[in-house]
Amino acid sequence: MIVALLKKEITLELRKKSVIAGIGLYLFSLTFICYITFALRQNSINAATWSALFWLVILFSVVNSLAKSFIGEKKGLAIYYYSLASPQAIILSKIIYNTLLALLLSLAGLLLFTLLIGNPIQDLRLFIVTLIFTSIGFSSSLSLISGIASKANNSNILMAVLSFPVLISILLMAIRITKNALDGIDLAASYDELLNLLAINCIATALAYLLFPYIWRS
Amino acid sequence: MKRFLTLTILSLCSLVGYTQAAEVEMADTMRANGKIYVVVGIILIVLLGFIAYLFMLDRKLNRLEKEYKK
Amino acid sequence: MKQNWWKYIGVLLLIYVHLGGLMLEAPRLNILNETVRALYFHVPMWFGMVLLYMISVFYAIKFLRNPLSDADVKSVEYAHVGTAFGILGILTGMLWANYTWGSPWHGDPKQNGAAIALLVYLAYFVLRGSIENDEQKARLSAVYNIFAFAAMIPLIFIIPRLTDSMHPGNGGNPGFNAYDLDSRMRLIFYPAVAAWFLIGLWIVSLRVRYRILQNHLTE
Repeated sequence: MIVALLKKEITLELRKKSVIAGIGLYLFSLTFICYITFALRQNSINAATWSALFWLVILFSVVNSLAKSFIGEKKGLAIYYYSLASPQAIILSKIIYNTLLALLLSLAGLLLFTLLIGNPIQDLRLFIVTLIFTSIGFSSSLSLISGIASKANNSNILMAVLSFPVLISILLMAIRITKNALDGIDLAASYDELLNLLAINCIATALAYLLFPYIWRS
Repeated sequence: MKRFLTLTILSLCSLVGYTQAAEVEMADTMRANGKIYVVVGIILIVLLGFIAYLFMLDRKLNRLEKEYKK
Repeated sequence: MKQNWWKYIGVLLLIYVHLGGLMLEAPRLNILNETVRALYFHVPMWFGMVLLYMISVFYAIKFLRNPLSDADVKSVEYAHVGTAFGILGILTGMLWANYTWGSPWHGDPKQNGAAIALLVYLAYFVLRGSIENDEQKARLSAVYNIFAFAAMIPLIFIIPRLTDSMHPGNGGNPGFNAYDLDSRMRLIFYPAVAAWFLIGLWIVSLRVRYRILQNHLTE
């Protein structure tokens, strides 16, 4: 069931070319704004600013693109799913799909940053592991919150308001690991943070799995 | 008995001397001339007023609940 | 009269805390000087906030398991009073920090954690405000309450212990040893936490009774 739903998500997504183009353009414009406002290349920024800019761009593009996972769907479609699949299968397929999307966005963001602003990261392997972990955390939190926000009136504003405080703990951990990756510090120094990030992911996914049926029913 | 008294008085004096010997500056003058009691009094009045207000609200709700049950 | 005993205990403890906190001997420490006493009045706000939020989450879970509207009212009101405590805690903390650390907002992890906790519950109230259907409002906000609180746990309980905090008890030590919380201070500090918690419960009970009456009247 999960696989079937996942396939449906991906085929739907690939069919709507404009949505993908929109997300890609959003990411590109954000990166480009960063590039222009700092007039980079001429006077390169320090590592801390790079990490702040990178995570801001990722945060905004991920929140905006994952928000549509429930908000964009039509009322009739939800009832159709309801008759077909269990809520657990729906949330799991959404989380898996959103993880892939968030990871894709993060990697694209990294690529754009490398092209436009430069890449001061010394420990690339650690950084990519961090990106995978944060993608899982972002997607499980945002999938649930998108489900909540889709039921309310002003969904888009609510999405941002509800998700930012929840995402801060993931973001804080990610920034700490990024600092280690930027400085090329030994991997052992970031074990604590990686473990914490993993724990946050587990809590977020488990809670999304447990709580989603209550949202879905209404 | 007398020896015990002198002993306690002496130890008390040493205790006072010990606390005064500490170099960290505290609001000792305020305590010495008793003005601290003014502050304590003001804070207590505010606190008691706040609590009296809570009690009045409590009573009001009790009365409303009784009325509603009727 | 009989059900009110805990309110009287709270009031008596509060009076004791104010008398003792202002007049009993406090440890003499550099920089802090006389402001150590702020510990008796500032920290209980923070404790009260966390405890009230925990009870709010407890009622949210209870509501999801068995949707009675009473549990929802309780959950909201605990969150309300918890937020009031949190705002007071942040304001007193800023005043204290201004005189001991040099600026009202010092980027301290515990301070940031408290601010984020407040943000979560403000978002919770915004969510409640933007759903019209009462039953749906209760269910969705309960879900958000549980989820956001769980996401906040690392922020409040883990990160401050990982980073250098200017608050006491950092570096894996949850206690107050750095402040030299000796027996004299404990004697006032713990009753202060209990007293403000009881007062918080009292205010919550008033608000819950008011809301239940209001619900009965509109039906």
